[in-house]
Parts: sequence; C-alpha cells; structure tokens
Amino acid sequence: MITPERARPAVAVPHGPVRARRPAGSALRAPYWMMTPSVALLALIVFLPILIAFYISLTGLNQYTIGDWLRAPFVGLRHYMDTLEPQGPFASSLFNSVKASLAFSLLTTALIMPIALGAALLFNQSLPGRTFFRTMMLIPYIIPTFVNAILWRQVFMNETGVVDQLLSALHLGSRETFWLIGPNSLWAMVIADVWAAWPFVYLMSLAALQTIPGELYDAATIDGANGARGFLYVTLPLIRPTLGLAVVLSTINHFNNFTLPYVMFGISPPEQVNVLPLNIFVNSFVTFNFGLGAAMSVVALAIMLTPAVIYLRAARVGDESR
Amino acid sequence: MIDVGKSTITRRRFLEVAGVGAAAVAMPGVMAGCAQAASTPATTSSKPSPATLSLFISKDTAHPQQQNQLMDLIKQTFEKQNPGSSFTWDTYASAAEEQTKLETGVAAREGPDIFEFGSTVVPTAYASGAFETITNSMWDELGGKKAFFQPQLAMSGPSPDKLIAVPWSGNPYALVINKAMFQAAGIKNPPKTWNEFVDAAKAMTNGKDSWGTAMAPADGFDPWHKIWLFATQMGAPLMDESGKKGLLDSEPSVEACAFWLDWMASFKIASRQCATYKGADEIKAFASGNIGMQVMTGPGGIPTYDQGPVAGKYEYVVGPTVPHGMSSLPAKGKPAQGFVSGQYLTIFKYSKNKELALQLIKTMTSPDIQYQLFKLRAQQPVVVETFAKHPEAKVAPWDALYDAELKSYPTPFFGSWLQLEVVLGKAINTIAQQIGVTGSYSKDALKAALTQANQQLAASIT
Repeated sequence: MITPERARPAVAVPHGPVRARRPAGSALRAPYWMMTPSVALLALIVFLPILIAFYISLTGLNQYTIGDWLRAPFVGLRHYMDTLEPQGPFASSLFNSVKASLAFSLLTTALIMPIALGAALLFNQSLPGRTFFRTMMLIPYIIPTFVNAILWRQVFMNETGVVDQLLSALHLGSRETFWLIGPNSLWAMVIADVWAAWPFVYLMSLAALQTIPGELYDAATIDGANGARGFLYVTLPLIRPTLGLAVVLSTINHFNNFTLPYVMFGISPPEQVNVLPLNIFVNSFVTFNFGLGAAMSVVALAIMLTPAVIYLRAARVGDESR
Repeated sequence: MIDVGKSTITRRRFLEVAGVGAAAVAMPGVMAGCAQAASTPATTSSKPSPATLSLFISKDTAHPQQQNQLMDLIKQTFEKQNPGSSFTWDTYASAAEEQTKLETGVAAREGPDIFEFGSTVVPTAYASGAFETITNSMWDELGGKKAFFQPQLAMSGPSPDKLIAVPWSGNPYALVINKAMFQAAGIKNPPKTWNEFVDAAKAMTNGKDSWGTAMAPADGFDPWHKIWLFATQMGAPLMDESGKKGLLDSEPSVEACAFWLDWMASFKIASRQCATYKGADEIKAFASGNIGMQVMTGPGGIPTYDQGPVAGKYEYVVGPTVPHGMSSLPAKGKPAQGFVSGQYLTIFKYSKNKELALQLIKTMTSPDIQYQLFKLRAQQPVVVETFAKHPEAKVAPWDALYDAELKSYPTPFFGSWLQLEVVLGKAINTIAQQIGVTGSYSKDALKAALTQANQQLAASIT
C-alpha cells in the first residue's frame, strides 16, 4: 500500500549534494528580525539572571546589604577561591557536595532505568487489568516531593521506622540501624527518590515502545529472532534516543533535587547527602551569605553544563539520523 | 518614573528589584521567593487613618486552633479600638521561612506591616536596616519600657536608643525533671552542678529503656543553645566583642562541645538514638516517661508532657550552673539558665501604616491579651502588669520558668550571630552522627570540625 506521504512528491529532488541558495537583501534579514522578541525574552529570563548571579558571586552581599544590593562590597574572586582552592574554608564542603550530588544522581538514574524499562516492556503487552496497573504506577510520581520526603523519613526512622522493624523481624538487621545519618543516609535518599521518580522514565519508555510498528516484530520473527533478539535488535535501537534523553533528564533532575534532602535531613544533613542545592540554600538563605551562594551556583551551573552538552549533542545526532 | 500598578517607583529601584528577582531565578532550584515591586514609604501623620494591616507571625504548631482563637480576639479588640481598621495575618512554620520572608521583604522593600521575629533573628533584622526604631514616644504609647519584662528588652536592639523590637512573648528555659524517676533512683534534690547532673543521670540510666537525659543534636537550634549555655557558665564567649570573629575553636568552646557530646559517647547517660533527634523528638522522648531530665527546656513541651505517661510526674526546676569538673562558678562565668528568648514584634520601615501598626502592637501587648496568650497558647507573658492582674500566670510550673527568665542572659546582638548558630550546629551535628553510628568520636575530629566552622564563619561575615 502506498501511503499518502509517499504518493505526494512535492519537490523534484536533484541528484547529488544540494546547496541551499541564499536569499538576498531584505529577504535575508526578515526572519531574523522576527526572532527579536524571542531572543529578547530569552535574554531577559535566562541570560540576565545568570549575569546577575555571576555579579553577585563577586560581591559580599549579606544581611547588611540585602536592602541595597547594588552597593554590596565587591570582593572579586574571593568566594571562588574560598570554594575552589584546596585550603579554602568552603572547599571541602563544596567538594563533598559535588560528590554527594553526583553519587545521588548517578545511582538513582542507574537504578531507575532498568526498573522503568522493565515495567514499560511488561505493560506494553496485552495483560488483564493493564489500564488499572498503568494508573497505579503513576501514584508515586503524583505525590508531592515534600510529602514523599516526610513519608520516607518516617519509614527510615531508627527504632520506630518500618525498615528497622522489618529488618529486625526478619533477623537481617538491628532495630537501631541508622538510615538518616551516616553512610546509609545516601541509600535512604536514593531509595526514596527512585520510588518517586521512576514513573517518569517509565512513561517515556512506554511512549517510545508504542511508536514501534508491529510489522517490524513480525519481520524479525519471520527472520528467526526470538524474544531476546527482538528486544536487542529491534526494540532497543528504536527506543535508544528516548532512553538517552531519559538518562540525561533524569540525571539533571536528581542532581538538582532540593526538596527531598531538605525535608528528609534538614539544614544540617549528613555529609553523604549534603547535595549541592542544599548546600547552596544553606549558604544563601540560612547564613545570609548570598555572594558565596551565588558563586556555588555558578560552579553548579558549570557542572550541569556537561550533561546538558551531552544531551544537545545527542539530540543533534538524533536529527542527523532521521 | 515607572508606574507599576498603583505605586510609583524610580527606574533605578525597578532595576534593583528586578535584579534581585533575576538573581533568584539564576540560583538553580533553591530560591524560595522572588522580589516584588517596591512601594514608596508612607509619610507619618499624627492620627492613624483607618486601614487594613498585615502581620507575619510564627505558626503555633502545638496550638493551631488556640492561635486562631487568640488572633480573632485580638482582631475584635483592635477593630473596636480603631474603628474602620482591621488586619490580616499570615504565618511561617520554620526559621527558613521566617528568614526568606525577611530577605524578600527587605530586598523588595515591600512586605507585611508587622513582622514577628524570634529573639536571635532580631539582630539580623536590625542589621538589614529595614525596621523602625521604637522611639521613646512610641514606647510611651505602649505603656513605657518599664511595662515590659526587663530581660526581654535586651534583645530589642543593640542599645537603649536603638530598639526596633517590642517583646510579645517569652520562652524561658529551665531544667525539667521526671520526679518518679528521681524518686526511684533515690535522688532527693535536682542537681546544682553539672557533676551532680551527670551522677544523677547515671543513677537513672539502665542503658536500655531508661536514660538519665536526652539531647537533640540534629535540631537546627538545640546544639548552639546547649553549647552557649555551657560556654556562658564557663565565662567563655563564642564570639569576640566585635561580632566579626568566632571563638568556636577556643579551648573552653571545645570543652563545652565535648561535655555535651559526651552525654552519648562517654558518660552514656543519653541514648545513641538521640543522634537523629530534633527538638520535637527530645520532647516526645521525655513525655514517654523514660528520661530523667531534659536540659534547658522551654514551656513549649508542656502540652506534649501532659498527654504522655509523664503527665503529673514532671516538674520545672532551676538547672545546674557550675561547669563540669568545677566546684564553683569560675571568675567570668555567669549563672545562666538560658538566653533571652521569645518572640518580638517589629514595624516594617516601608509600611504605609506605621502609626496604626503601633496601635496594633499596643493591643497585642495589653495585659488582657497577654493573659490570653498565656492561657490559650501556653506562652509566657512579657508585660509585667499581666502577672499582677492574673497571678495564675506565675503558678507552677510557670513559677520556675518565671525565675529562670530572670536568670537568662542575652546572646550577642550581632547580625552574624545567626551564621554562628548554623556553622556551630553543623559541626556538632557531624560529630554527633559519628557517635550515633560508631559510639565514639575523637577530640581531634571535634577540634577540626570547630576550626573549620570558625573559618567558615570568618569567611561569611568579613
């Protein structure tokens, strides 16, 4: 059968490489002028705040000068030296926070991907009660983050929490195991976040799976591919761009998660969960050191550009492949 | 000039406010509020014209319904006294919310007419320069400075001529003891020295379900409360007189911190489970009836105690004042029971209704409303006449709290004190977590954590 798109050759396609012909004069300028409002808006809501944050990072803005921030004393790169020089008073704090944020975001993403993909593969098939289960799976994603954090704080409380009581009942651990302090706190936060965030990747994966035409699986079956080979050679290549996007977005989202650690651990969290957004918040809004907070934000921005660049490159690769 | 709604602001002001708002957007994921358009400060007039004021006060999470009742009563009284005027009120439930509102209001020069602050936030509010100085004539309107509980005025401003905050409620600290556990352990009198305290606590501890005391090192406030108490009794300030240099790693400061942490690590009079406790957890633990003493405790726990197994078995008493390892108070030591603590009302400098705001404060600090504050919300009144007019405000357990309030000392009135609270709390919390997980800590690690806290403090306030 010939699809309408195939049956409608709109333009004669020339042989060989095509060089776009540049329009001249006003025709050239017109489209760019039309972009001016968008560019201005982008500058106002994206670039201007970044520039101001950078400016604030060079000042000693604090509780004494917050009423007239343009007159805050200029301190140059002092905040950057305080945080980036090995002997700086905030160097170990920043380093620990970067480490905690990376560990948290990478671990969470690594755990979420197989769970979400497995669930998407399962519920992409015809199963009894599929609609019901698909709806149920979204519940963790719908619950507000602070409610989720309070719930998991109770679950992980030492002695009285469900986890300690369960471990004790099964003789797998003590009722006095600490989950909200010490090394276990990272796992507590990872588990809480995996529970809340996996439906996001599940939804993306399910949407991607539903775009794969059934004919491809039919063809693969005729060629002798079993279920596993069908997954490896048909499913995975076709949902790879979506999964890549999901990995990048998930990593960025978890890296920037503030509410969960703030509610679960407060403003004096264990160093294992003192993630960068929480550290910036405490420095900016609890100790009123806005200049330092802004400097840390600029550093965080630089770090987050890495997955952003990866994402943009991946998106471009996706365009070229079409 | 640029017109923004009904208010008129200068172009420079618009850029300043827009700049702060833009900066808020730039800090990823953490900015809680954004600046709003500012308004021109109102000129004062001799008679307050009718208006609707706005208040921003702390949420009474222990007595939410009673707080509504009290505010309704205040509103009725205020509306009767000031025909045509009224007020709306909003609450904050955490210190972070309180500070964010302060920052946003100051940056935007727009906010509630009256802010309520805790005593240790008043210096920060003063540092911002965004609150009215209460002049002598304004104090006269409120009944004079002598009408207020005198220790409270120490946190109203840096000097008598620069007071910005009117006391609204007190939060005195005392030692609360479980009389049944004292009796069972054969202890007749509350401890007067910290040596006696440790001995009494050991006598009440069985290491399983009965503990001499409890602590809350994971709390945002409890660590500095206790360390300040021990250091003040030792005569060792935590900050120098300029307010620009912390003394957190001085020998007495380290000793003060070590003494508190040793309750879990060395003396083992507090459960290691306390490592995750916040203030409310400590109160709950004492209410369970398994804790012998709770140190430096305000009246906020009374409703919880009265609903738990400890009901009818507890008593507020004056706590120890002689430092651990000493037989008497050292030369510069102060017999402190706690610091001057409570809530204060301030008038926002950019309010258009400052005179009316003063009238509302007058209503709120009248003896009858102060008595209702005590009766409904279990808060200590701060207007002296209240105690004469309503003697039950000084009946047990409030008598001990009243005495303790007279033995409270102000914390240094520096805007940087709030920063000290945070860095000290984080250092203590880190070590307490080590104790929770491993059962011990090293003094070197404590010293290093306090040195780092001191460096961070220095970097934050210079």
